[in-house]
Amino acid sequence: MTSEEIIEKVKAELADAIQGADLPQGDAVIFVAPDSWHAVAEFLKNDADLKFDYFSDVRGVDYLLEEREPRFESVYQLYSIDHQHSIRVRVGIDEENPSVPTVSDLWKGALYPEQELFDMFGINVDGHPTMERLIMPKDWEGFPLRKDYPLTTETVTFSYNRGFKSDLVKSKPPTR
Amino acid sequence: MSVTDQGLLHRDKDTMTLNMGPQHPSTHGVFRVILEMDGEVVQTAEPEIGYLHTGIEKTSENKRYGHVIPMTDRLDYLNPPGNNLAFCLTTEKLLGVEIPDRANVLRVIMCELSRIASHLVWLGTHALDIGAMTVFLYCWREREMILDLNEEISGVRMMTSYIRIGGVAKDATRPWLDGIRDFIEYFPAKVDEYERLLTKNPIWLDRTEGIGAFTREEAINWSFSGPALRASGVNWDIRKAQPYSGYDNYNFDVPVLNNGDIFDRYRVRVEEMRQSRIIIKQALERLPEGPYKTPDNKVSLPPRETLHTSMEALIHHFKLVSEGISVPVGETYVPIEGARGEVGFYIVSDGTNVPARVKLRAPSFMAIPGMCKMMEGCYIADVVGIIGSIDIVMGEVDR
Repeated sequence: MTSEEIIEKVKAELADAIQGADLPQGDAVIFVAPDSWHAVAEFLKNDADLKFDYFSDVRGVDYLLEEREPRFESVYQLYSIDHQHSIRVRVGIDEENPSVPTVSDLWKGALYPEQELFDMFGINVDGHPTMERLIMPKDWEGFPLRKDYPLTTETVTFSYNRGFKSDLVKSKPPTR
Repeated sequence: MSVTDQGLLHRDKDTMTLNMGPQHPSTHGVFRVILEMDGEVVQTAEPEIGYLHTGIEKTSENKRYGHVIPMTDRLDYLNPPGNNLAFCLTTEKLLGVEIPDRANVLRVIMCELSRIASHLVWLGTHALDIGAMTVFLYCWREREMILDLNEEISGVRMMTSYIRIGGVAKDATRPWLDGIRDFIEYFPAKVDEYERLLTKNPIWLDRTEGIGAFTREEAINWSFSGPALRASGVNWDIRKAQPYSGYDNYNFDVPVLNNGDIFDRYRVRVEEMRQSRIIIKQALERLPEGPYKTPDNKVSLPPRETLHTSMEALIHHFKLVSEGISVPVGETYVPIEGARGEVGFYIVSDGTNVPARVKLRAPSFMAIPGMCKMMEGCYIADVVGIIGSIDIVMGEVDR
């Protein structure tokens, strides 16, 4: 199916569940709310015409600098081995208690990238079996890929610097 | 103090916990796996990653597009041109620039050479893990020739950064093309030589056949890609399914086997080396004349000699060097077939010269949970074979 046909099919079948659809540079993209994401995922996987049986990836995005509502987004990339087409699903996630349902019960391949989503962005993946740090050390504080997390921090060991906020010297913001 | 005094024999379970790695030669980097052993048989295998985390994704969000390319080399350090290409294709899709034909062919040559080099490292180390020392030395001998070719064209042996946004870094040189011609004449006999050492070797067969087997459904569900998926009977090669860089112009076969065990993954990769050589041969034959990078001076630097005569070229040159490429607002993803499977960058642009988000889809990272699932019920000696057969690179796992 072409991207246009995928969008049409998804719009026809899931009119209530999806928030919108787009075709940037010819990719099929749909927008879904976290509450309906698991049902949408189940449909995308099991529908005979779509049959997205391959979980390609999920990435978190932090739109803090763009001041977008909601702040976070988790973007899923699905692929169909039989039909050779793909779709991107963008799930907007609120800043307060960010959470999204797991789809690792549908695709086992989602286990690791969903854990990384928690590790790097602090987005809780509801129903995920191991919701703990993956790449960062177990006792790490903060979520490194959030935009308000500084690029580098230095622990200050000199006593006269103790007054600084949590003993951290933040790096200069990047030049744009 | 004896073992009994330490309380090691008084445990509430019959299994033994065994730590493997992160400093273990067969884990190909710093991969740690905690094995729960019942005698010699693995009950569960729990992976532990992150020892090589360098924060490349975070750093990329603070660098200009052009400056990210050298960092992509360090992700999958055995297949740097594949990563360069994935990053450049995604950026070019956002920019909407057309790539000249000659640049596409040079990119294909570079990627396929690097695929061969990557598979040679895999074959050498994998065979060494299982106990065949000679293959390792033979593979390194041929890989050295490819590294020399890399040096000739890009000045660097491994981290080439040869593929740039809008084309390639420099035009093909005569010695490079001659060197590739010599190499593709020389190489097929060497692949036969590796196969003579391994494919019918009874020890090799004992250690690989029927071990670490995944069915078609399992391999898809655990998000395997590349050779590991094709060994399980899935005919999916992105070069054929979603052709990029003009791969639809080449005639080559995609090896697919059905058993999904270590032996089939070995055979798929060996056949892929032959097919890559065929692609390079065709690419050399059809290498067209023309520019090696896009003439769009908002993306690639204008020719040096025009700077003295054209004001516009001077302005473009200054803007590109001082400011970099500004990419329109958008987000996109372009998958390519790397040496280990689907590689792709998801890039979000906010309209500036610095990407807002760069995320690598790494085939090794995606394969690790499935790989550990595969180990369950195997002997401890086969764990080494399974890790080698999936061909993980920790640089792209931890990023």
